[in-house]
Formats: sequence, structure tokens, C-alpha cells
Amino acid sequence: MELAVEAKQLVKVYGQGVRALDGVDLSVEQGKTFALLGPNGAGKTTLMRIFTTQIRPTSGEARVCGLDVVRDGAKVRKIIGYVPQEMSVWTDLSGYENLLIYAKIYGIPRGTRARLLDEVLSKLGMKGAAKALVRTYSGGMIRRLEIASALLIRPKVLFLDEPTIGLDPSARKAVWMELGKFKEGDGVTIFFNTHYMDEADLYAEEIGIINEGKVVTVGTAAELKRSVGGEIITLSIAGNPFVPERLRSLESVEDVILAEEEVRVVVKDAEAALPRVLEGLRQDGVSVVRAAITKPTLDDVFLKYAGTRFEAGGRVGEVRQMRRMIRRG
Amino acid sequence: MSLSALWAMWELELRRLRHDRLELYTRAVQPLLWIGVFGPIMGSIRAIPTGGVPYTSFITPGVLIQSTTFVSIFYGLTIVWERESGILKKLLVTPASRASLVVGRAMAAGVRAIFQALVIVPIALLVGVRFYPNPLYLLGALGVIFLSSGGFAALSMLVASFLKTRERFMGIGQALTFPLFFASNALYPVAMMPRALQVFAQVNPMSYVVDAVRSLTITGNVSQLGLDLLAILAFDLVMFAIASVSFRRIIE
Ligand SMILES: Nc1ncnc2c1ncn2[C@@H]1O[C@H](COP(=O)(O)OP(=O)(O)OP(=O)(O)O)[C@@H](O)[C@H]1O
Ligand SMILES: [Mg+2]
Repeated sequence: MELAVEAKQLVKVYGQGVRALDGVDLSVEQGKTFALLGPNGAGKTTLMRIFTTQIRPTSGEARVCGLDVVRDGAKVRKIIGYVPQEMSVWTDLSGYENLLIYAKIYGIPRGTRARLLDEVLSKLGMKGAAKALVRTYSGGMIRRLEIASALLIRPKVLFLDEPTIGLDPSARKAVWMELGKFKEGDGVTIFFNTHYMDEADLYAEEIGIINEGKVVTVGTAAELKRSVGGEIITLSIAGNPFVPERLRSLESVEDVILAEEEVRVVVKDAEAALPRVLEGLRQDGVSVVRAAITKPTLDDVFLKYAGTRFEAGGRVGEVRQMRRMIRRG
Repeated sequence: MSLSALWAMWELELRRLRHDRLELYTRAVQPLLWIGVFGPIMGSIRAIPTGGVPYTSFITPGVLIQSTTFVSIFYGLTIVWERESGILKKLLVTPASRASLVVGRAMAAGVRAIFQALVIVPIALLVGVRFYPNPLYLLGALGVIFLSSGGFAALSMLVASFLKTRERFMGIGQALTFPLFFASNALYPVAMMPRALQVFAQVNPMSYVVDAVRSLTITGNVSQLGLDLLAILAFDLVMFAIASVSFRRIIE
């Protein structure tokens, strides 16, 4: 199958000598929801701006649905939707008017326009607010409106740059529910940037981790976490903790560590191993008081592949992002 | 060049105006002072040869054009704002060509300028300015304002692509409009100016715009109109071309 998005040895050096992308290799299959996860300044926006034909790469190749973004920029723009990191609607117009103007810019013919807008607005559940000025909308409503306007032309690939930045959890959920609705109907590929680990974890089928201009690893959330190392089952045992040999010999068990009152069992897949571990202990007459499962997080994944903690750059970034959001209003 | 995108830009401006017209009125205050106070006082001393036209009537087209040019020059500020928000990025990712975005937005400033003119004309009538009584000529004058505003707006977009921030742009906006205004035939005939300034006035696009609008709205003598239109058209085309090329810069 043709790839939705593809980058080969992509490099972008900005005018002032900032090496924002340092040889990115990446491919995303059609129909996938892909998250590019990385801290502030990692190069997420730069990569997306190259895919969306806004800026040219310094070297390397980038393709969208097989089309080269430099040579076939005009064709690429016909098949993609894009929501930038910053606000992209006119706040002094109503929601309906924003959609209408974008529909006209996209050249959607008059005959289908009214029906399309109506359909989009009811899908958004925004028919009531459509006539109000965007200035009066909440951050979440604005984001949903932007997504709707990017989907007007039913793109093959939808690029979202930090789609839920600065939104509270319920507004984030609403945004993703709406994306889900559109995705169901059209089977669009979604490529989104985020610096929220939980967002990538929850909504992406595949995650690429980017740090300092390099995509360091790609995989599903589960694959990535598994690659970090095993999951841990922590057991509190009644009486004197001891480690029955039987436990070590279970095939799914990688290691057993005795710590104070607890036994830690390192396994590949904790959910699958837990019943067998408990059964093994029961056979030796050991009674378990408490069992807990600890899994590696994307933060651990990031640490392994990028060599630093994710949070480090994140905080300052967050503040800057929030300011940007506020300036939107 | 996609026409639908062009129209959409104009419609955008019309809809904006419909929601908020306050700016049109506040921007009418300055022209009111020119033709309500400056004009009558200067006119009373009869120091400036106007070819038999009352002085206030003589300067009305100039004041009108100064005001609509101001609207266009400050249109660059809208572009700067749209750059800071994500609107420009989004527009660049639509199938509309860059040239049609530049021309569309520039001419959208023309839409705004026409409405600015329509707010000022009644003020002039109240002050007692006598317009040349030919409705077709008056319509033609609005057409000239529309056309020329596009060129000035493109100039301002060009400036915006270099400055990129609102604060810097505010200063330049003033510094651009007033020289154009004073070094033109808006307030006095070019022949009265010092030699060096006369040369500048010859290449100042505003001189041609004022001349065209003055002939259409006040004197009714349209013998120079062809030349004026040609100059305005050339100015527009050059500005559109340069602004389109430099438009890349604004989003980098
Ligand atoms: N237009 C530009 N000119 C010069 N340098 C830039 C430009 N845009 C980004 N950079 C730099 O390139 C690097 C990558 O920036 P980019 O915006 O792509 O990161 P990001 O991952 O999107 O970060 P954020 O979380 O802040 O959105 C940063 O060091 C940034 O300062
Ligand atoms: Mg970014």
C-alpha cells in the first residue's frame, strides 16, 4: 500500500543556523492515526510544516501519498487538511462564516456547500453556536471548528499540530471524539504532533518519538513500552517473604527480586503472567495479600531512546504554549 | 490564480465590516478635521492656486485618498496579526496559489477602503464640498480608490513580510503614509513644491490617484485620466508581483 507520509534523511536548517531537523526517517501507512511525540523545540512543527508544503527542507525527501512536497506542492495541498499549532480562525466572524470562507477558498462548489456546512455543523454539535462570533467560543470549541474546517475537503491526510494544547481534559476528549467521528466516515490518515504523553498513548495507533531533530524510535505504545524492559508484578506476601524456586522456573518470568516485604516479579506481559504466578505461589502454600502491576510509561521509553527525561524541556514550553493560547483570544 | 479564493477574501472583509464598523467611524475623524477645519482656514487666505476650485473642494480628494491609503497601509497589520496566529499558515496550505492570496488580500483592503470613502463623502457634503454632478464619474472614482488601495495594501504586506511584529509595523505605517501624502498633489499643486520634492511627487503613486479622483469628483476634467489609470495599474502590478515573491518570507 502507498504510504500516507514518508520522510527520508530530512534535514532543515533555519536561516540562523538552527538545525531543527537532523536527518529524519519516517513512514506512516494510510488510515493510521500517528502521533509524533516530543518535547518543546524537538522539531515537530518544523517537520509538519515541511509535509504541509509551507517550508522547504534543506536536504532530504518528504512525500505525502507518494507526492513530493517540493515538486508537487500544489497537488499535495489538494489532498491534505491542516490545523496549525496556533489559532487559525477569524475571531471577528461567526463559526459558520469561518467555515463558509474556507469552503470558498477551497473552491467547494456552491451546490454542495450549504449541505456540507450543515452536515459539518451538526456533526460538531455546534448548530446553536454557529451564528455567534468565534471570539465568544471556548478553546475547545475553537479547536473543533478548526478541525471541521480542515476536513471540509475530505482530505486523505489530516495534519494536526498539537491539537489539544492548553485544553482541559474534557475538552480534549471532545476534540478526539469528533476526530473519531470524522475518521470513521472517511478513513483519513491522522498525523498529529503532541507533547502530551497520555494523548499519544490513548489516541495514536502508532507513535514516533522525536528529540533534537531526530526521530529516535517508532512503534505502537505497547511495542515501545515493551522494548524498554519487562513489566513488574509486585506482590505482598503474608508471613516471611521467600522466593519459591517454582516462581523462577515459570516460563514467562524473567526475574524475581526480593525486597523487604515484597516480591517483585519481572515479566513480559503482566496481565497474562499474573494468574500463573499466583497459581504457582498457591501451590507452594504462599498466600498473596496484595498484587500490583507496574508498567513502563512512554516517559521510560523516551528516557531509553533520547537519553534524557521528557519533562525537562516540557515545563517552560507549556507556559509558552499557554501564553500563545491566551494571545489567541 | 483561483478566482473563488479572490472572491472569498473580499467576502471575508465585507463580513468583518458587517460585524464591526467602529473603525470606519473613528478613522473618519481625521479627514473631518482636514476638510472641516484646515480646508476652510487655509482657503480663506487664498494662498494656494487651485485653478478656481474652492480650496476645501480642492483638498477633499486628497484627504479622501490619504484616508483610504491609511486603511490599506494598515492592512499589513492584519497580515502581521494573521501571521502571529495560525491563519496565514493555514491559508498557505489551501490549494489557493500564493499570488491569489496576496492579490486577494490586497484587494480586500480595497473593499474596506471603499467603505471608508463612503463614510467620508457625506461629511464632505455637510461641510459644503460640491462634487461634480455625474454619478458615473463618482462610481469611477470609487473604482479608482478600490484599484489603488490594492497596490498600497500590497506595499504594506511587503513591509509586513520584513518587519513581522506589530510594534515595529505601527511606526512604519505612519512613516509611510505621511510622506506619500505631503509629497503629493493632495494639499497643493506639485508646481508649488521645492524642486527635489517635485521629482518625488512625479513618481509618487498617490499623486496619480489624487489626480484621477479629483478629476472625477471635483473638476470633471478627465483629460489626464488615462495616464493616471495607467500609472495606478502599473503600480498595482509591480506591487503585487514583489509582494507575492516576498510572501514566502513572512512565514519562514
Ligand atoms: N522560523 C524559525 N526560524 C528559526 N528557528 C526556528 C524557526 N522555527 C523553529 N525554529 C527552531 O527550530 C527548533 C525546532 O522548533 P519546532 O517549532 O519545530 O519545535 P516543536 O517541536 O514544534 O516545539 P514546540 O513544542 O515549541 O511547538 C527550535 O529550536 C526552534 O527554536
Ligand atoms: Mg510546535
